[in-house]
Amino acid sequence: MSASLAGAAAIAGIGATEFSKDSGRSELRLAAEAVRAALDDAALDPADVDGMVTFTMDGNAEIAVARELGVPALRFFSQIGYGGGAACATVHQAAMAVATGAASVVVCYRALNERSGRRFGRVATGAVAAPTTSGVDSGWHYPMGIATPAATVAMLARRYMHCYGATSEDFGRVTVADRRHAATNPHAWFYQRPVTLAEHQASRWIAEPLRLLDCCQESDGAVAVVVTSLDRARTLPHPPAVIRAAAQGAGADQFTMTSYYRDELTGLPEMALVADQLWRQAGMAPAGIRTAILYDHFTPYVLIQLEELGFCQRGEARHFIADGAIELGGRRPVNPRGGQLGEAYIHGMNGIAEGVRQVRGTSVNQVPGDGPVLVTAGTGVPTSGLILGDD
Amino acid sequence: MNDEQIRAAAARITAAGDSQPRAARDPVNLPMIRNWIEAIDPGSDPDPDTAPPSMIQAWTMPGLHGARTGDDPLGQVNQVMDEAGFTSVVATNCDQSYPRYLKLGEHLTVRTRLLDVTGPKRTALGDGWFVTTRSSWFSGNELVATMDFRILKFKPREPASHTPPATGNPAGPMRPLVTPDTAFFWAGTAVGELRIQRCASCGALRHPPGPMCPACGQPADGGYVVAAGTGEVFSYVVHHHPPVPGKKLPMVVALVQLPEGVRMVGEMPGVRPDLVRIGLPVRVAFARVDDDLALPAWRPAEGMLPDRVIDVTPTFVISSALATRDFQDVHHDRELAVKRGSKDIFINILTTTGLVQRYVSAWAPDAVVRAVSIRLGVPCHAGETLTLSGQVTGDDGDEQVVAVTGRCSLGDHVTATVRIAR
Repeated sequence: MSASLAGAAAIAGIGATEFSKDSGRSELRLAAEAVRAALDDAALDPADVDGMVTFTMDGNAEIAVARELGVPALRFFSQIGYGGGAACATVHQAAMAVATGAASVVVCYRALNERSGRRFGRVATGAVAAPTTSGVDSGWHYPMGIATPAATVAMLARRYMHCYGATSEDFGRVTVADRRHAATNPHAWFYQRPVTLAEHQASRWIAEPLRLLDCCQESDGAVAVVVTSLDRARTLPHPPAVIRAAAQGAGADQFTMTSYYRDELTGLPEMALVADQLWRQAGMAPAGIRTAILYDHFTPYVLIQLEELGFCQRGEARHFIADGAIELGGRRPVNPRGGQLGEAYIHGMNGIAEGVRQVRGTSVNQVPGDGPVLVTAGTGVPTSGLILGDD
Repeated sequence: MNDEQIRAAAARITAAGDSQPRAARDPVNLPMIRNWIEAIDPGSDPDPDTAPPSMIQAWTMPGLHGARTGDDPLGQVNQVMDEAGFTSVVATNCDQSYPRYLKLGEHLTVRTRLLDVTGPKRTALGDGWFVTTRSSWFSGNELVATMDFRILKFKPREPASHTPPATGNPAGPMRPLVTPDTAFFWAGTAVGELRIQRCASCGALRHPPGPMCPACGQPADGGYVVAAGTGEVFSYVVHHHPPVPGKKLPMVVALVQLPEGVRMVGEMPGVRPDLVRIGLPVRVAFARVDDDLALPAWRPAEGMLPDRVIDVTPTFVISSALATRDFQDVHHDRELAVKRGSKDIFINILTTTGLVQRYVSAWAPDAVVRAVSIRLGVPCHAGETLTLSGQVTGDDGDEQVVAVTGRCSLGDHVTATVRIAR
């Protein structure tokens, strides 16, 4: 499968709403606007769309979005689970559909009023009551007090610090990089608002060892991308962002955010699983990547991703980033638009859009070079990743 | 009166130094000690050779119809603050130290001076000034006890506004979903057993449990072993924000490595976050949520004092206030207490200090209490349950330091440090 998927499909259009704290519109409206913008970007019509993919967490059914846009027929629709881990997997699904002929133009979208509506940072008491395996899993953590995303990450972060000597300041360097990048991105919530390491250190505890500035923001907004065959993408206005590799991963003894029962509690083996597939499919090594857009809902997982993806050795990420390597102009710029800490939390979909811009060469913070771009999805959960390159 | 004038007045009162010695009405005597023990620590030795050290203030309380002397520095500062509009008062800290215990028959005098006035400060209650006085008790010329007492004199932010503390419970506790695969575990916690799934076929242990045994592929079939109840902290979180239903924040939640080879998540209720570390030996405790549910919880294996749970009845509030010779109406007259903006009568500070000291002394009956420092939190009203918990936080061979927390439904009523010599 993987050999035939690489290079079979491309992202031909990207679209988004503004990123805010209060959109003032329904999530369905946001979804429709983003999909419409992505189709306009690709110079395609709703009538061209025959496939749709979103997250199980998205509140907008494919048929609802299709109704609003006047999509006449859907031949392929799919929803991916596990929160933000779904982001790159939506494109993975779309590419597989296109590569197999199940669909010809697939729209992937995510729309959420995550700040003005249901805030993910709060305790989702319903999670523990759900009569599902997820509800049962939550029963081992929520009633005891591990009941927010930050708290679930803090447990692993503490162990990571203990085993490898990482500090809160090491986590803070991720925030400083993201906010510096967002400061020059007019679309970012934190446009022109960089922070210093001292400000990170002064921010209050949320779930020790995580501070407020270790946690991504909460946002309203929507992002959509259009996936079609590489051949068709070549006929459309923008240079295709070729899907060189796409993969999902769930590891041994996997839980959602609480994989606390593996021998080690310092890594993200599900991301290593994704990474192995990506490098193999794309036929390349980490050194060839131009820039990486790493899912950054919480800073410690950016450090661990650098290790799992092979940019540095296990436990070495704090040394790897110490000299500003992940900042623009550094050896390995990460999240050039500011990521979810700086730009917006659109559940990883804004990272895919930025990956496309970097391939096109149109980013506000364009990273020089001609190598492909790596994008990852939610961490601590079953996850996914993409490598996007030019034609 | 502006800030500078307040500072000038404070400097003048400070410069005047100690007030004239004021004599206790009665010598240290057994009847008062017995009343005090009966109210605050019933069941303990009613016939001691020495007075409980935390009774010190009671000996020189002015009495039901007593008044402050003219040179009492706290009275003078209060007058200044009242004139400046800082009319409300709340006590925040009381630090007592006891060079030696008092014997029956000793005659005490007390002198008080103004130690410090700091402000204006913006507080949760309103803008105000922290006022600290130091009282020194003498038997003859010998110093036998000191007390630094800090109050906040403030302008109330809003009349009768009682903002619930951020640490309150936003809703009832969360409950686990019990399925046929997990019922054995929750049946165990309900009866005080920590059960680990044990495969009926191959004997493999597993937590969290599931219907199948991943080790051998056979159905797990509900078998279990009862854990020894010991473990080590493998990692932990100190959760500060946002509120979690049924929990008081901040709280420590630990991932515990059990000697049986599995890991388990549980809260460490009452533990001081700065004393938790990876590798800390812990022992299981069960946090009862209600009749149907108990959650696994963990406590440090060593250095934890057993909890003392006090049923704060009106009788307890009133008898302990009177036994400490504190006749302020908010401690015995419900109607007046409510009129003054309280929910009900509430425990007085002398009693809180006494409770903390006796709690530690009950745990270490042969130790000598050298000092008790308390920081006051939310009031503890009649009708509450006050739970005292303690933890040894330091031990240099000569002196042990015990951190004590007293919690009621609104949050921490008192956090304290007690120094004892073994």
